[in-house]
Amino acid sequence: MSEKSILRARDFWAAIVLFALSIFFLLRTSDIPFLGTGDAGVRLGGWYNSAALVPYCLFSALLLLSLVLMYIAVRDGGAKHAFSAIGLGLNASELSRVSSLSIIIFFYIFALVPRVDFTIASALMFCVLVLGFHRGNAMRMLIAVVLIGLAGCYALIVHYPQSEWSKPHDDDVVALFSWVVACCCIVAFELKQEIPKLRRSLSLLVLSMLLPLFLVCAMAFGFRQNVPNRGGMLFSKVEYVYYVTVVPMWRQ
Amino acid sequence: MEFLSTQITGFMHAFVLLASDPVTYAYLIVSVFLGIVFGALPGLTATLAVTILTGFFGNKFPLEQSMIALIGAYVGAIYGGSYPSILLNIPGTAASAATAMDGYPLAKRGRGGEALGLTTTASFIGTLIGTAFLLAFVGLLLLVSKNIASPEKALLALFGVLLSGTLMSKDLPIKGWISGLIGLSMAMVGMDPILSEVRYTFDWSYLLSGFQVVPVLMGAFAIPQILEGMRSTLVAQKPPPVGRIVPRLGALFSRLGTIARSGVIGTGVGALPGVGEDVAGWVSYGVGKSVSKDGDQFGKGSINGLICAEAANNAAIGGALIPLLVLGIPGSPPAAALLGALKINNVIPGPTIDPSFVLHVVAILVLASFTMVLMGLFTARIFILVLQIPQTVFLPIVLILTTIGSFSVGGGINDLYLMLGVGLVVTAMNAMQYPVAPLVIGVILGGLFDETFRRSLFLSDGDFSIFISRPGAAVLLALNVLLVLSQLPATKLIFSRLRKR
Repeated sequence: MSEKSILRARDFWAAIVLFALSIFFLLRTSDIPFLGTGDAGVRLGGWYNSAALVPYCLFSALLLLSLVLMYIAVRDGGAKHAFSAIGLGLNASELSRVSSLSIIIFFYIFALVPRVDFTIASALMFCVLVLGFHRGNAMRMLIAVVLIGLAGCYALIVHYPQSEWSKPHDDDVVALFSWVVACCCIVAFELKQEIPKLRRSLSLLVLSMLLPLFLVCAMAFGFRQNVPNRGGMLFSKVEYVYYVTVVPMWRQ
Repeated sequence: MEFLSTQITGFMHAFVLLASDPVTYAYLIVSVFLGIVFGALPGLTATLAVTILTGFFGNKFPLEQSMIALIGAYVGAIYGGSYPSILLNIPGTAASAATAMDGYPLAKRGRGGEALGLTTTASFIGTLIGTAFLLAFVGLLLLVSKNIASPEKALLALFGVLLSGTLMSKDLPIKGWISGLIGLSMAMVGMDPILSEVRYTFDWSYLLSGFQVVPVLMGAFAIPQILEGMRSTLVAQKPPPVGRIVPRLGALFSRLGTIARSGVIGTGVGALPGVGEDVAGWVSYGVGKSVSKDGDQFGKGSINGLICAEAANNAAIGGALIPLLVLGIPGSPPAAALLGALKINNVIPGPTIDPSFVLHVVAILVLASFTMVLMGLFTARIFILVLQIPQTVFLPIVLILTTIGSFSVGGGINDLYLMLGVGLVVTAMNAMQYPVAPLVIGVILGGLFDETFRRSLFLSDGDFSIFISRPGAAVLLALNVLLVLSQLPATKLIFSRLRKR
């Protein structure tokens, strides 16, 4: 199938999604006062000043363009291929790779960053991505997903409510354990190579921990910005040392 | 003439102030270096470099200082894209796609060093040409822009989105427009700018202030690159050896005309709202091919072809800053990221901008281009080494940078969710060849469009003739209509018939 046919098949689905979204948002826009805009008995302006005017224009235009896109997709044979595997955008090996990647990013953003120390969470994410994706091996990808899944699920299940995000350190310990296992796996897999580049692998592992630590410190103390999980196992200690030891020394 | 001399005096003053501050050099060296590294790593873009630094600087640093870092990274990244284009035939950024056409054949013939040297100097001169135009025109345009009112602003914003959608779309122009409309629609979320009416928040208080620019930019430019880059199992290639990089003066002087022409074209294309450095590179390359004596050699390893693309894409930086500073409409995606930085620092570009700020930006551009040329000529081998870093190593680093940057700028963890959501949507859009730039420009200009469109109608009591009765608005409306009409199949058919006749 040519690239154009694949695109048109995908355009067919995109047109349906856009059509549905336009209708949904047009309906939602109808909740915004349009004709006779007013509040508390005070007339604020005509229809031309309503907050719904521009959204109506935009979603109507989107609706129109979705119909044009549908016409183009159907005219160029997109509807015919829409239900084929390629039309749906499915490819077994690519699907496993993308889904593994999505799971890793999901656990990192939704489970680890809010709950676990940022340095540990990032070091774990870094290592599992290197472990799982460096040579495109399905087994390594699975191990990577399991390792981050373990730390992510623990953090999500045990410390789900926001009130617990920055308090306990047991999820930090679990994430640290996963990181150690990921490091061991990287080294073990490297040793299996014909020409093992052990020094490079070890420096990567050191980098995985030092880089996020450096970044979070630079962000918090250099750029004076908000950083995730200030109460994390490592960062809370670094922050304590910084304000109790380093800053007074600097001032003296 | 008097105006120009005032501008030059003001620029000299700003330049001396900046150049005499040692902190400036620290910012410049680090940011230009980071920019070149980002440009040199395939998949990482100039927009991403500027966005990540925006996340770091946020609004806690004086804007003058953060602008040094952001503009330094912008200049460095546009230039840095030429390294993998020339040495690996992989454009580091979209802006350097045209560079690969002649750069790689030259590198294969063992002239990679010469190509890099000439690219560096062409980029340097190109940046200076763009900067000169910025200095000369921005002041004049600021005077003119005082007459620009709500109708013109609304139509300009719409023109920026439509033009970007038309020119950046690889497949159908309609996809670019859809992308722009999605961006504009995203900007409708939150409290509306005139009546503070709540729109599409779904009772989530985080959305009351609308989508934040930095997480949207990070989501649009970083997450799809991470997902795409990690999907491929490509390993980093070893670049071919390069010889002498510093160019011979004779070779450079004989091509000054080509550099000047490309610089002017690049500035012009860059100044078009929403059109980026990549279009500038291709347009200049196309013009060069048709007017150069060795046009038939373009694509086979022509130095002139290489220079056409590189001088233009760097000159587009100055061009892209003209509509940004004069009208608040970004000329390119990295300029949109710069606008995001200005917004979070409560600086509103447009007719009311402080002229001394413009001169400060010009001075930074000049200093950044000097830093770039020195780094490019004397530390190029470091950047060649960077090319050997595999994607599986640098992309997780990018994810860490975007996560902490996105978290720090605004709403904490909610910004990360927004970043991820936008990233997934843009990844799907990329798979269907929808351009990202119109979406981002739509998000940034959506608020301006909404406010100025409604204000225009408010002033005219709902009479749409306000968009025709004002000369400026009438011209812009005509441009918008012509742009849409020019893309219709019926119009294209009529034009092709007329051409045949």
